[in-house]
Amino acid sequence: MKVPVSIWSGKRLVVVILLGVLVTCGWILGPRVIHLSEGANPFAEIERFFGGALAPSLEDENPSLPAGAKPFLLRTGESLMRTCRYALVAMSLALPAGLVLGFLASSAWWPGAMMYGAASLKRRLLRGSLRLLRWMCRLLITLGRSIHELVWALLFLSALGDAPIAACVALALPFAGTLGKVFSELIDEQTQAPRAALMATGASPLQAFCGALLPAAFPEMLTYTVYRFECALRSSAVLGFIGVETIGLGIRQSYENLYYGEVWTQLYALVVLVVLVDILGARLRERLNRGVARKALPEPTAGEERYPEDLLRRTAPRDWVVRGGVLATVLLTLLCWNVGKELGADLTTDQRSERMSRFLTKLTPAPVRPENRLATGSERVEAFRGKTGEVADWAGDLWTRNGAEALLNTVAIASAAIVLAGVGAALLLPLGSRALARGDPFGVLGAASRGVRFLWAAVGFFTRSLFVLGRAVPEYVYAFLLVGLLGPSAWPLVLALALHNLGILGRLWGEVMENQRPEGPRHWIQCGAGRFQAYLGSLAPLSFNRFLLFFFYRWETCIREATILGMLGISSLGYYVSIAHNWLRYDEMLFYVLLGAAAVFAGDLLSDWMRRRLRGSAGCS
Amino acid sequence: MMEKILELADIHRSFGAVKALSEINLQIHKGERVALIGASGSGKTTLLRLLGAQLAPDRGEIRVLGRDPLALGESGLRELRSRLGYMPQDLGLVPNLRVLQNVVAGRCGRRSILGTLRDLILPALGVRRRIHALLERVGIEEKMYDRVDTLSGGQQQRVAVARALFQEPVALLADEPVSAVDPARARDVLDLLVRLCEEEGLTLLVSMHQLELAQDYFPRVVGLKTGRIVFDGEGSSLREEEMADLFQLRERTAGA
Repeated sequence: MKVPVSIWSGKRLVVVILLGVLVTCGWILGPRVIHLSEGANPFAEIERFFGGALAPSLEDENPSLPAGAKPFLLRTGESLMRTCRYALVAMSLALPAGLVLGFLASSAWWPGAMMYGAASLKRRLLRGSLRLLRWMCRLLITLGRSIHELVWALLFLSALGDAPIAACVALALPFAGTLGKVFSELIDEQTQAPRAALMATGASPLQAFCGALLPAAFPEMLTYTVYRFECALRSSAVLGFIGVETIGLGIRQSYENLYYGEVWTQLYALVVLVVLVDILGARLRERLNRGVARKALPEPTAGEERYPEDLLRRTAPRDWVVRGGVLATVLLTLLCWNVGKELGADLTTDQRSERMSRFLTKLTPAPVRPENRLATGSERVEAFRGKTGEVADWAGDLWTRNGAEALLNTVAIASAAIVLAGVGAALLLPLGSRALARGDPFGVLGAASRGVRFLWAAVGFFTRSLFVLGRAVPEYVYAFLLVGLLGPSAWPLVLALALHNLGILGRLWGEVMENQRPEGPRHWIQCGAGRFQAYLGSLAPLSFNRFLLFFFYRWETCIREATILGMLGISSLGYYVSIAHNWLRYDEMLFYVLLGAAAVFAGDLLSDWMRRRLRGSAGCS
Repeated sequence: MMEKILELADIHRSFGAVKALSEINLQIHKGERVALIGASGSGKTTLLRLLGAQLAPDRGEIRVLGRDPLALGESGLRELRSRLGYMPQDLGLVPNLRVLQNVVAGRCGRRSILGTLRDLILPALGVRRRIHALLERVGIEEKMYDRVDTLSGGQQQRVAVARALFQEPVALLADEPVSAVDPARARDVLDLLVRLCEEEGLTLLVSMHQLELAQDYFPRVVGLKTGRIVFDGEGSSLREEEMADLFQLRERTAGA
């Protein structure tokens, strides 16, 4: 049993270390040099941009469009629908893959768990091969996740040309990995009691898995899938920045033409779409948790069976809204696959294999690239033979020239951003809390006047709206706009990442606080403490470990995002990826992509390890 | 002499440094009704799990339905467990599934994986009828298609009873079925268990810590204290000081 004082010093230490990380990252990234002396009024552009927020355009701002051109609103609507379409197609690929990966990455269904005594050789061999399979699945999951969907898209589009299906597959790869990982975690985190009860009746582990663990995890798996769809919408929008015809393309073009009103209209459209899916997910979670109420049964008729089975079956509570929603989603997905612009590329098999072959040649490191651009597999291996030293030199050169610095910058951007987001969320949290930001915090009887009540309700609403807006717009879009407004340096990227993650942490941490038992903080309020005292003295320390759990989870995703934000022209990994891509030096591009993947992989392992440790201690607190 | 269905001889079992059971000798005959009483931590759950072929002893002889579970393979073990109805203290129901699905899961031990999936998704008419009749006997048939988490605690307990009975077991082992209910409900639960077991001719073994209830409902009472059997006989023959001793805190003896 620890004494409270030592727990406090642990928390203080963590906070100090994290602030130290922020300072170090700031020092690495260097100061922002602003040349605001250029031009007559440097702030005019910023002013004009934010002016557009209040006056979004409903018509084309370009005065010199040809007469037959599609009007702006129609174009925006179409690109929004395409954004949805690609996200749905990608999810329809990612979900089955994620289910299979999640199943294989979990060990709860393995046979033999019910045995005692020494296991037979056959059984041990079986479990050994299952362990190998699980390990390979986890590797596959981590590999898929460690390369950002934007990079996958860049690779696929370079290889296959601009077919939409390439973009969808690019989205699906990391999403399948994430779904698989989260599904297996959800299954493993279910209470074991129902599983044990079924095993006690003689069920095999696979039966107990299907009868107890899977049904119990199902609601969370479904709502997480909806959340993932929301993410897919954002990612699909971001793919527009590399030329896929989604709403991101429109945002980029309008911004580059300085049509700020158009930019805001499209941003609003995207935000409305994302927030709608967000609300949908929340409603779904509510419905699944609550279940549907049963319709009242009729009075039993005298003399007969009280409630015959078929009557009960006929009147069984069924959630038609959820069932209808699932059916509609399936139909819509089928529609997305089959209606509208062809998803696949219009290529023959020969053309496709020729393209792939040429792409593969370009991907091969320069020193060992085969002469023949359409070389066969054995020729490629032949070219490699005896030249590993040269490849190592080539990679070493890239590493010392740009790689090391780019990697350091990437990690620094991600770390500075997540600490900033954490600080911001920690400060805003009491203002956004439903329990604290009200006239009578925690329902404790107070003497707050009507005006004060209204004021606090407004503060709470605005803070929560800020969180929603923060997470509704993708990091990449924020970064694109901020680089344009603030000029090229690492700080717009840091701000963009921090803004988006502020929204996410605000929501996740808010949920943690809402799940805390209210007795502790209510006692503080009853003793006369203010809202912030109750937050700092009771809610925050109680939730600290869970806060950290989510903090590390977001840190990992920040590193993932930071590897691509450099594509906007800021010296970090993404910058060198896009430069190499533009110069058609695909071998160098691959090098930087793999460097980024390695960073994400390492971050993944680190954050996993931290979270496992924290989960242990969060469980008992 | 009736057939012995559960036999333990000189059983020892520890969890790490904690000795949960030591020198346990126990024989239970077919059709007997036995209460297992003792304070919290006296080893009741461990003993029940051993008898339910879910836990291996560190040392000693064990016979469940005449067979040694340690010598059985997976299919033999499944078959053995399917003939023992086991009600864990926390009931182990899946809260967001319907009563029907929770009950039908009771016969997993005799079904293939495909059969289980069919039972869970589209149970056959015959199965539904049988479960309806079973739920009628435990008094909650109108809840057959309701989610378990919409049921009261007492109703959930009846679901667990129905699941165990759907196994068509030889014996029913219930771990603390009356620990979380008020005294009147406790009598209801025990009435139900005793009535069902008498109707079906099942052996009933119930762990609890209310001595009075045990004496009222069970001809035979087994007293456990710190992992040892200290009393085994007719409940009414338990003497005053033995009763007091049973629930006394663990004494600081040399072994403890």
